[in-house]
Amino acid sequence: MLEIAIGIILGCCALGAGAAMIAGIGPGIGEGNAVAKACEAIGRQPESKGDVTTTMLMGCAIAETTGLYALVIAILLIFVAPGLFVDILISTI
Amino acid sequence: MIKADKTVINETKYIAYSLALLSIIMQSVFLILKRWNYTVLLGNLLTDAVMIANFFLMGLGIQKALQQNDENVKKIVKLSHSFRTLMIFAVVVIGVALPLFNTIAVIIPVFFPRIAILFKPLLQNKLEKSGE
Repeated sequence: MLEIAIGIILGCCALGAGAAMIAGIGPGIGEGNAVAKACEAIGRQPESKGDVTTTMLMGCAIAETTGLYALVIAILLIFVAPGLFVDILISTI
Repeated sequence: MIKADKTVINETKYIAYSLALLSIIMQSVFLILKRWNYTVLLGNLLTDAVMIANFFLMGLGIQKALQQNDENVKKIVKLSHSFRTLMIFAVVVIGVALPLFNTIAVIIPVFFPRIAILFKPLLQNKLEKSGE
């Protein structure tokens, strides 16, 4: 019975990590679109290249943090959570 | 080899200085809580280095993308994002798995660039006011 419970915990942690990484898709698409629009803007006004690049760099960094949150949660679910949950389960029994 | 643009270097410098400042604050908190040991410092340094490298590589990727035509831009940025995410994943996994690094000190600096960017407009406003 204990083995089944541990198996369920490990499986759920792995599923959770996989589900969390769905959030990693968004920033890639968002950054791609932002840079494509910045290209258009620089094409229209080449003199504003510096300002556009600075704003876009910061925007991309902010967009990327969403993916990083998901990444950190996935790593914690894979490497930290299973041990913690199994310990709690064993101490409860 | 692509040469880094002045804007990319300046923004990376800003992120590096901010990360250093925030790291000092984090180390101080660990010291106050009496949880500080060398693993905290090593974990912090590891993640700081990776986050600065991540920002710099993002800047280089964007700079390269800006020189391309419209179709290639999205592909380059997506590829750059995937490689950088893999890099962060690998380093954070090493940091979490090895006992040489403190897990909390490895994970917290991942969020420092966001905090640094959040405070940038405030800092700019202050600098503009002091310049007037």
